[in-house]
Amino acid sequence: MNITVNESVVALAEGSSIEKLLISLDKPLTGSAVAVNQQIISRSKWAEYKICEGDEISLFQAIAGG
Amino acid sequence: MLSDDEILRYSRHLLLEEVGESGQKALKKARVLIIGLGGLGSPAAIYLAAAGVGSLLVADFDVLEVSNLQRQIAYQSSDIGANKAALIKQRLANLNPQIRVRTVNRKMDQAQLMMELMMVDLVLDCTDNMASRQMINAACVQAKVPLIVGAAIRFEGQLMFFDHAQADSACYHCLFPGTEEETLNCSNSGVLGPVVGTIGTMQALEAIKKLVGLPSALTNRLKLFDGKTLNWQTFTISKDPQCSVCGQKI
Repeated sequence: MNITVNESVVALAEGSSIEKLLISLDKPLTGSAVAVNQQIISRSKWAEYKICEGDEISLFQAIAGG
Repeated sequence: MLSDDEILRYSRHLLLEEVGESGQKALKKARVLIIGLGGLGSPAAIYLAAAGVGSLLVADFDVLEVSNLQRQIAYQSSDIGANKAALIKQRLANLNPQIRVRTVNRKMDQAQLMMELMMVDLVLDCTDNMASRQMINAACVQAKVPLIVGAAIRFEGQLMFFDHAQADSACYHCLFPGTEEETLNCSNSGVLGPVVGTIGTMQALEAIKKLVGLPSALTNRLKLFDGKTLNWQTFTISKDPQCSVCGQKI
């Protein structure tokens, strides 16, 4: 299935979880936040949350500067 | 009652239907804690003082360094080496003698922060590190004090509002649960002054709206600002029932 990650199209196996997506993209599991269709998915749900065809994923890092 | 001086000073607020005399009185009565007086805290403190927020508590243990002046617009070159809280207190007193400003010039621990929270209506997190952000969030959750969080590096800004007086409020830890994680900050990544200034200014805007009783479109939302494209993205944050800070305690 195809999804978008930060506006780029990515092909992903059906039924993949957010955790699996991050691993396949070689992204760190810590210090990141993930939103699916503009809804933040808390880290405690990443292993179980299944991504669907056409989902818009946003991946970004915590920033602390000020 | 507003004095004649106040009516003159705040005349542009009084013209606004959404603020008016009742809003200005609410600002006068309000007590706001600003933690961190750098690139975010400089514009935030100046705008809140100018707006007539009656009681400002400003906290920073740092002394001003020359590398701060590129973005921390509350200060001048002649201020280098002095404590930022003391400097900004003077700056705000010159700007608006009708408000009270109190300073905290050393690092607050959880106990002192909890004490200070008993005496404020709203907190602005303008700090520059993850440990402080997590501590401030946990204390605001516990004390049920609304928290407006800003952060910026490079060309990017993040802005959030958690109304901890509401039981269903999410919290900073629901979004970023890692306390010990390496995070990006201005000294390891760089930042443009107007980017961090934009976020600090938005924190002040949301604070004024909250204090005069206007609804916020930022509640339980995260806004990401891209200083290159000028785009804002908006994300909804739901309370994480498993959050170790704000989730249901058994």
